[in-house]
Amino acid sequence: MLAKFPFAKRKITKRTVPALLLLALVCGCTRPQAEDRLAAIRARGVLRWGGDLQGGEPYVFQDPGSPSGLSGFEVDIAGALARRLGLAAEFVQNDWQTLIPSLERGDFDVALNGIEVTPARRARVAFTRPYYAFTETLVMRRDDGTAARGLEDLRGRRVGTLEGSLAHDLVRRAPGVELVLYEGVEEPYLDLERNRLDAVLLDNIIAARYGLPRPMLRAAATVGEGVYAIAVRPDEPALLTAVDGTLAAMMGDGELRTILTRWHLWDGHQEVIASEQAMGVDARGRESLSLGHVTLFLRATGFTIVISVLAMGLAIAGGLVLSVARRYGGPALRAAGGTYVELFRGTPVLLQLYVLYYGLAPILPLTAFSAAVIGLGLNYAAYEAELYRAGLDAVPIGQSEAAAALGMSRGLTLRRIVLPQALRVALPGIANDFIALLKDSSLVSVITVVELTKQMTITAVDVRGWLVPGLLCAALYLALSYPLSRLARRLERRLAPAPA
Amino acid sequence: MNDGAVVAVRGLGARLGGKSVLEAIDLEVRRGEVVAIIGPSGSGKTTLLRAMNYLTPFAAGEVEIAGHRLRPGMNERTDAAALRAVRTRVGMVFQSFHLFPHFTALGNVAEAPRHVLGLPLPAAEARARALLERVGLAAYADASPQTLSGGQQQRVAIARALAMEPVVLLLDEPTSALDPRLVGEVLAVVADLAAGGQTMVIVTHEIGFARRVADRVVVLAGGRIAESGTPEDVLEHPRTAETRALLGMDRRDGSATDR
Repeated sequence: MLAKFPFAKRKITKRTVPALLLLALVCGCTRPQAEDRLAAIRARGVLRWGGDLQGGEPYVFQDPGSPSGLSGFEVDIAGALARRLGLAAEFVQNDWQTLIPSLERGDFDVALNGIEVTPARRARVAFTRPYYAFTETLVMRRDDGTAARGLEDLRGRRVGTLEGSLAHDLVRRAPGVELVLYEGVEEPYLDLERNRLDAVLLDNIIAARYGLPRPMLRAAATVGEGVYAIAVRPDEPALLTAVDGTLAAMMGDGELRTILTRWHLWDGHQEVIASEQAMGVDARGRESLSLGHVTLFLRATGFTIVISVLAMGLAIAGGLVLSVARRYGGPALRAAGGTYVELFRGTPVLLQLYVLYYGLAPILPLTAFSAAVIGLGLNYAAYEAELYRAGLDAVPIGQSEAAAALGMSRGLTLRRIVLPQALRVALPGIANDFIALLKDSSLVSVITVVELTKQMTITAVDVRGWLVPGLLCAALYLALSYPLSRLARRLERRLAPAPA
Repeated sequence: MNDGAVVAVRGLGARLGGKSVLEAIDLEVRRGEVVAIIGPSGSGKTTLLRAMNYLTPFAAGEVEIAGHRLRPGMNERTDAAALRAVRTRVGMVFQSFHLFPHFTALGNVAEAPRHVLGLPLPAAEARARALLERVGLAAYADASPQTLSGGQQQRVAIARALAMEPVVLLLDEPTSALDPRLVGEVLAVVADLAAGGQTMVIVTHEIGFARRVADRVVVLAGGRIAESGTPEDVLEHPRTAETRALLGMDRRDGSATDR
């Protein structure tokens, strides 16, 4: 951490980013000091291995029937490795996309979860010899007659895959193909069925379990191959040697084959990898932050702005309808308005986005972009409605009486007299909510929209570091939110004295 | 309603929170007449005035006003059209002005002609300017209400009520919320309206003003009319104990209120 600090210090003066934020980022991106922990692991008696249960069957998944509560061929491999090393295996849950950074942080000893060996990853961590060979399966709809033999036949089409996977690299490098990123293995196939995608490229294990059982889908082509291996921190050669040697022994006496066969994963490809070796860190795969990345960041910022502005517009209008319904509507309308507000304020917006985009897909086929705008807009409408309610409460009853005494109808009174005053009271709160919405818009990445935060995580993986992309991302958010918070404070000051 | 009567209150009874605040009130206001309602606090003066345009609902009797009839049990929602028909013809001035803070003085006065009567904007504004001139505020047309003194605000409120050309103007203690220095300018405007023949019902504590401007003074006590008649009859030769009590307190500092 100390070694990184002079670099970090230069950034402070350059960007004037608050020191606390910086400190958090520094802590998040630096690695523990070089030290071989094999002895420590042996003393502890536990091999901690990282994976993501969301990856699902057959890798690692929750299984109430098994003693550990977990099942999967990787659970069996990790168990056998630990046993042979005289250790107990302990699973550590971690998002799949961040397995490598978490390994670097020292959250677990090895990462073992369908981690494909790619040049980018080899630039960051060491790998054991592979334990599984896979192919990339291109899945398409049966009703789509395109005779695609590879990605080159899919120019201008939308192809979905898992963020950070080998397939992600392949699709990204295919010219003219529109890339759509997911965090789970089920969702891309769901979207393919709903015509939101034209094809899905994922490892054959995933395609066989999650894609091809769907009657609407077909395997169109095999477009590449790769291997899974166990990732180890590069500064722990003794641990790498021990784990790699144990894996070699498991291959030699057939235990690995037994495990793979039990999970119906053994095929001809697996014979080939027996001869492979462990792989050290390869510095050539490292990318650095380039102008191209900055352009991507600016584009993602544009997305964040567009989504936030549209969602806020929806929220302001929706909140208005809600608050008026709750105040002036009949009993049924008032109850409906109240239920809406409690429902949308009382449940996570992440859940609402999931339900809107995936759950309602059969009856409401929204694009990811419109689902993002509508989801955030509907959620924030509940908050805006509460703001307007406070605003309406702040308008003295005398205002409505004066309007009524002039012969103004209820609607006219609302439109001309009450609402304009209520909105003035609510305005600073609306500005504050817009700032919150700007930041909440990062949640829409779960439904495949690449906005600013998502761009940051993607770039961080590319350049194998979180500090610079993190600072860039933070600077862009601040550039958006700071003027808004200034505006909110000015509005608060200007409107502070209560109207006569 | 007798010929020339603009307001006829018959057998009016009103309750507030289960308590009777007005009982068996009969009152007529003829065209061009100025009626002052005086009485101690809590005597029901404001309730009676607000019943005349149904801003406060009443429980018994009826009010005939500006050619329309108000009955007990009317509802802001279901009788909206009938109530609006009354209120467009009846002006109201409130104790605490209730100007619209988001409009200018001109905007306050032009609002109802423009949006209730549907006058084109230039016509509504011309009418508003003429009325601001009449209350002595032509120079303040573009001022925001918050920048005006209480007296100026109340004069704008009077102009706003007059902009609908009401057949009768109801004024609810128009000077009670004012700094004493500012009472005179408002009373001068009301006196000017009276001289111009505007029919008015004024709830007031200003006995001296009532004596000078009103054609008739009504004394309300305990929710009933204690006494009613010309200012001379009621104020110089009171017949009831209630009136004498009310004036007795006032007479001692009568010179202060008799402007």
